[in-house]
Amino acid sequence: MRLHRHRVALVCLLGLLVVIGAAAFGPIFYPQSAIRLDYAAINALPSAAHPLGTDNLGRDTLARLLLGLRVSLLVALYVETLNVLFGVTLGLLAGYFGGWIDVIVTRLADMLFAFPGLLLAILIAAVFGEAVTDQLGGVGRLLLVAGALSVVSWPLMARFVRAQTLVIREQEYVTAAVAVGAGTGHVLRLHILPQLLGLVITSSTLNIASVVVNEAVLSLLGLGIQPPDPSIGKMITDAIPYLESNPLQVFFPSFMLVLIVLLVSFLGDALRDVFDPTSR
Amino acid sequence: MFALILKRLISLPFVILAVTFLTFIVGYFAPGDPILNLMGNQRDQAIYERLRTLYGLDLPWHEQYLRYVVGLLQGDFGLSYRFAQRPVIDLIRDGLPVSLLLGLNALLFSLALGVPLGVLAALRHNTVIERVIMALILALYAVPSFVLIPLLQWLNYQVYLARGSALPAAGWGRPEHWIMPTIVLAAASLGYIARITRASMLETLGQDYIRTAQSKGLRWSRIQWVHLFRNAILPILTVVGPAIAFLVTGAFVIETLFSIPGIGFLSVEAISQRDYPVIQGTTVILALAVVVMSLITDLLYVVFDPRIRVNA
Repeated sequence: MRLHRHRVALVCLLGLLVVIGAAAFGPIFYPQSAIRLDYAAINALPSAAHPLGTDNLGRDTLARLLLGLRVSLLVALYVETLNVLFGVTLGLLAGYFGGWIDVIVTRLADMLFAFPGLLLAILIAAVFGEAVTDQLGGVGRLLLVAGALSVVSWPLMARFVRAQTLVIREQEYVTAAVAVGAGTGHVLRLHILPQLLGLVITSSTLNIASVVVNEAVLSLLGLGIQPPDPSIGKMITDAIPYLESNPLQVFFPSFMLVLIVLLVSFLGDALRDVFDPTSR
Repeated sequence: MFALILKRLISLPFVILAVTFLTFIVGYFAPGDPILNLMGNQRDQAIYERLRTLYGLDLPWHEQYLRYVVGLLQGDFGLSYRFAQRPVIDLIRDGLPVSLLLGLNALLFSLALGVPLGVLAALRHNTVIERVIMALILALYAVPSFVLIPLLQWLNYQVYLARGSALPAAGWGRPEHWIMPTIVLAAASLGYIARITRASMLETLGQDYIRTAQSKGLRWSRIQWVHLFRNAILPILTVVGPAIAFLVTGAFVIETLFSIPGIGFLSVEAISQRDYPVIQGTTVILALAVVVMSLITDLLYVVFDPRIRVNA
């Protein structure tokens, strides 16, 4: 069973590396413009000139898909970085020290959880979107989207880390370390953080699935990545009116999105088994 | 148990207060002047001052917030910027029944399909049937609603080509408008409900009292109804809370993409138009729904399983 699980994890990891490689190096090997309009090929099916066809403005689907993929993965990377920075730090402090830090962190997380679903992220992206794009351009918008999505997902990470820290804190080796006079920083760094590594890697990996989907939702509501830059979510909804002439336009980005969600979920589940064999 | 209910009931207004405060602050620090937006090309200082006073924007922030909260307590959600000073509560009153109808349809649909699927998967444990159901659950999890919508519309179009008539692609009003949004909205919670049902059934199947009932020679159908379902169904009731949170989230995308005039659509429209009073109003209503549902879920846990002592 374990071996089988590892094989699944390995396949998913390889698949994910291929997807990441395509996003990172794809545009180099496929130097078609993602925003050039080709009026001779509007809503075209796949051909030699456009391997995955074109959209309603004659833009190359493969080129747009590769760039959109890059956006999705970059946002996921930024969100997970922020989650680890805020979620792990605050969860660790709340769990280890308790007291007023714990009260503040838990209440803050509760407050953010009370917002239904993506609402807070939608709100932040909508209110500050225009100003950020004016000031900082496309990269700023990308960071804003990542920040908005992180606001609604770090509390979960903090909650996991806090719960785990509460357990580790009571372990005998921690008591022993404190008893022989180890400083707080030393205990946190050498005795608690390493024990959290598995949990953090697993939940970050699983979280990527919802980040990728949520980024697509923000973009299709018109609040994420702005046209003409491609985003997978916007590609899907923009292509819906042209389903009748070219359903493949919807299919390719949808397939890519579902593929990422599945790869990341299987990998996350397998990682959980690897890091925590007792959880099954 | 009474203490728990009391504790949660006391914390409820504070959570809602926190939500209103956060929404208010985001609106307060938002770039741009809503009154200038409202006036369009008109530039009349006297009108500007009058509108500012009408919306209370000439007050310092804490007085604005105080006024807003006091208004909320009296059922006054303020005035909309976009709809020429219409009260926000009117807009919410128009949208809420639509969202409730859609959400209730989707919830009933996902329960009616999800619970039997989960039960079937557990009763046919380690067979092809279970694997097919699990694959379906996984597919429902991995395929987001905005991917499911074009898929359904494409199928709908194929039906149209074949038969000459099909479901309407968007809009609201007649019952045939309900079908596609209900399916898409139900899909998200369907997989979740089926998964929890299966897990609960499998856990109950492994209990000693099931084996005891079997070993004393009871008919399997009797064991199923008296021992199995009765115990397994309790945890399933409690998934309704999270499922409703799913429905609220799904409503944003689905109401927008199907042009359904519910709370989600109202909220998304207001956000893109920077109609802050409407944004605040819809946020408070939706947050209230989520908080109340999670409270009910916690209560159901305690009511149905007296062994659980929630110390939260």
